[in-house]
Amino acid sequence: MWTKIKWGLRIFLILIVGAFLHYTLPQRDIVHVINTYNKNTPIGANWMFYSIEDTGTGVETTSTIRDIRFIDAVYPDGNSVVVYRNEDTGWFWPPYFKWDSSTLQAEAQNLKSDKANPQWVAVTHYGWRLPFFSIFPNAVSIARVDGPNVTLIPWVNIIILSMLAFGLFMIRRMWMQFRERAVDPVLADAGDAWGSVDATAEAAKKRARGVFGRMGAWFRTWTPKK
Amino acid sequence: MGWLRLAFFGYIALTIIYFITGIYSRSVRREKLEKAWDTDPAREGATKADRQAFIDGGMKAYDTGMKKRLLWLIYIIPTIAFAATIYFVNWN
Repeated sequence: MWTKIKWGLRIFLILIVGAFLHYTLPQRDIVHVINTYNKNTPIGANWMFYSIEDTGTGVETTSTIRDIRFIDAVYPDGNSVVVYRNEDTGWFWPPYFKWDSSTLQAEAQNLKSDKANPQWVAVTHYGWRLPFFSIFPNAVSIARVDGPNVTLIPWVNIIILSMLAFGLFMIRRMWMQFRERAVDPVLADAGDAWGSVDATAEAAKKRARGVFGRMGAWFRTWTPKK
Repeated sequence: MGWLRLAFFGYIALTIIYFITGIYSRSVRREKLEKAWDTDPAREGATKADRQAFIDGGMKAYDTGMKKRLLWLIYIIPTIAFAATIYFVNWN
């Protein structure tokens, strides 16, 4: 029972983190741009998926309607389409520090092409298209590519994910070091002390561990058994 | 004002990371020194004071060494990453 709950929590956590990274990290689509425009867009409960208010993208006509730039594009299969919004990102999250929406819109306009003679471009973007919530991926940059079949290596993601993995690895190392140098000696001393007064030192230790001791033991089940 | 807020909280976070990593790094070095002393057969029978002096000496060397200075990368790398992001997103 507890094992199932524990695994459920772990999987849930991994899914949340995975979804968060999938939303935030840059991705590149190979498309050709068919249209660029501005649209007064009502923003309500889905505000979280738009730029924060003071980024100054377009005209914020009221607090709930914003003039947002959009870019329409078509994938190489000729049928699937994608709609990007083109908004500045501001100073905090996601940390793209994009302030060149106007320039990007001009570039997209310049690279506009039709079906007969498509100009293939790689659009770097983050975010999702979820029609139910009216949210759109935000285009970050646009670059010409040779054709619809070029292979792009996601170096940025490789670097960021490696750094994240390294960070997690170091946190674990630090925690192990902390336990080895600060927690275990204290527990060992406690064991010795009880051992001298009570033959059943192990039982006493177990009782003395209390809530936090048990919590610690539970956390330690994540670490590999030595 | 956004950038000031970001810089302020960003460097506070980095300072916390810097100190925690500093403590960790010192701890690892101390453990290494202790183990080096304890496993050296030539030092069998040496006094506790000798051991302490050996460890203190080693920690002094650590404090002036290269490895400790490398911890400044905790500030330098995010700052460079920040500048590089701004450059590549807006001017490239």
